[in-house]
Amino acid sequence: MIAAQLLPKAEFVHWWFATGFVILALLLASEAIVGEEVWGRRPWRRYLWPAFMFGMGVLMFPVMTFFTSSTIHMVAHGSWAQVMMLAGAAELGLARGKLRSPWWHASTSFALLVAGAAVLVHEQNSWLFERAAFLHHLIGWTAIGCSVFPLLKAVRPRWPAATFGMAATFVAFAVILYCDRDIAPIFGHLSYFAGVPKR
Amino acid sequence: MRRAVLAVAILAALAAPASAWAHATLEKQFPAVNEELKQAPHRIVLAYDQPVDAVPNAVVVLDAKGKNVAGQAKAITAQRELVAPLHGKLPKGAYTIRWRALSSDGHVVSGISTFGIGVPAPPVTEAVGAQGPTGTEDVVRWLYFVALALFVGAIGFRLLILPPELPEAVERRFYRLSLAGGVAVLEVGILAFLLRAEDALQLPFVDFIYGDLAPLANGTRFGQAFIAMTLGFALALALLVLGWLGLGRLPLWGAFVLGLGFASGLSLSGHSAADPGDSWLSELADWLHLSSAILWVGGLVCLFLLVWPQKELRRDAFLRFSRLATVLVAVLLAAGTYLSILRLPHLHDLWSSGYGHVLLIKLSLVATALAWGGIHRQVIAPRLRAGADGAGIRRSLIGESAVAVSVLLAAAVLTDSAPPPQPLPPPPTAAAQHRR
Repeated sequence: MIAAQLLPKAEFVHWWFATGFVILALLLASEAIVGEEVWGRRPWRRYLWPAFMFGMGVLMFPVMTFFTSSTIHMVAHGSWAQVMMLAGAAELGLARGKLRSPWWHASTSFALLVAGAAVLVHEQNSWLFERAAFLHHLIGWTAIGCSVFPLLKAVRPRWPAATFGMAATFVAFAVILYCDRDIAPIFGHLSYFAGVPKR
Repeated sequence: MRRAVLAVAILAALAAPASAWAHATLEKQFPAVNEELKQAPHRIVLAYDQPVDAVPNAVVVLDAKGKNVAGQAKAITAQRELVAPLHGKLPKGAYTIRWRALSSDGHVVSGISTFGIGVPAPPVTEAVGAQGPTGTEDVVRWLYFVALALFVGAIGFRLLILPPELPEAVERRFYRLSLAGGVAVLEVGILAFLLRAEDALQLPFVDFIYGDLAPLANGTRFGQAFIAMTLGFALALALLVLGWLGLGRLPLWGAFVLGLGFASGLSLSGHSAADPGDSWLSELADWLHLSSAILWVGGLVCLFLLVWPQKELRRDAFLRFSRLATVLVAVLLAAGTYLSILRLPHLHDLWSSGYGHVLLIKLSLVATALAWGGIHRQVIAPRLRAGADGAGIRRSLIGESAVAVSVLLAAAVLTDSAPPPQPLPPPPTAAAQHRR
């Protein structure tokens, strides 16, 4: 019971992960803007976004274990934790030279596909049932659709459009996650007639 | 035109959320989960984060005999509550609450909790209707042991047996094996938790996906161990990945220590912690037993998978592991003997109880594996010392490993079985009463 009282509110957790996606997007966009060659002049920069992604995966495990209000949420959180760790580890391996084939970028595509499917499966309501349902569908389909960008990176590793695409994907994730609660600062609880703000 | 309609629809959906918010979550309840009450309650109150509707048999309160003692539940929309009256004054005893509520999104959410009147409440895993571990859970627990052996055992083998610098192919095989073991530990752990939850909740699959798992996760030793072990092993896996990236041996040591440490979750939530008469000593013995077993089995698997294909590593690795295995087996046997004496009050329990039968099977498998290992130590080690390449004994190593892995299966069944009851303390004699 004490542990339950110490848990952060669900919207805070959404916003923390949204902020994580903003940072990921900024790192990827920076790499795309200056080009891989300039970005790689400081070797540690190559590890930044994969390490961040990997860390977000590790941090998703507490979300899985402490937010157990339903089976489907627990399974969804667990799948996000694991695929983020997988994608982060594969990208770290590529940056470090432990993995050589560019096709390892496909693990990030796989991560986006699984994450998107998990979002869609755990939202059982239709698109326009309510704002949260709409955003769940939107983020799920965004993840599935944008899983093509890491694949493009596998086919044409130096093509900045693929990196930009991934950055844009993470920006979309962040905006949707910031919006995902009624008390969110963006598209928040605007209508008085919508009843009490829901978390 | 269609674009404009779509844009308006999107904005409307974003700006004006419906009054419903996904499915309902139980926020408070009376009696609380696992609460021990001094007086019988008159009603059950379940408070949610949104208004819910009552479905038929929305709240069922079962006594120890499985009889429902609750009346028809009513939904109180203003308070977002489901309230069920209780028939008369309930007698002293343990009770199970099973509830179902219709969320405003049309989904039925379900949950379970227990309370006691004048007695401690049982954990939800022992609620009325829960049937205890099944054959599937035995298999899943066995897979968990095997995964632990591949994860923690392989890291231990890498650190304690193999030299710091390894040929690239061996290093690659090591990381494949241990990473697969780490992922399996997490996956199988989640599966084990869900199977136990399914047994406690006793719901059809469609309802189980909306079942409230919080009472199991927070209100039982099993759930708390699951939380701690999942977080610990996720961290250990992350450290293993850092080791793979070439950040030195420190992350590997971290993963090893975390892996061994969090394996204690099994000891702190199993027979050695929950059965009558158990103490910190039984928990320690259980952890030593488990740790030595996973290091031994994991080491055997590593020996034939990692070392044997690499001729130049065979001799030193085999001899080092042989020395370590002697210590591990000694700890395994000492701790196992102590735990057997603790759990079997009489020698005849070995052949007269189900627990004893499984223990006998386990002991015979352990004896086979030890005899096999003894032959390796007595016959193969001198040959390797004399310069033989040992190419012919790979199959024998696989055989010994297979027996060791089957020991883990017997251990899994044993863990899920109930030991025979401890004898009651003798009644005080007339002489003793006189002395008082």
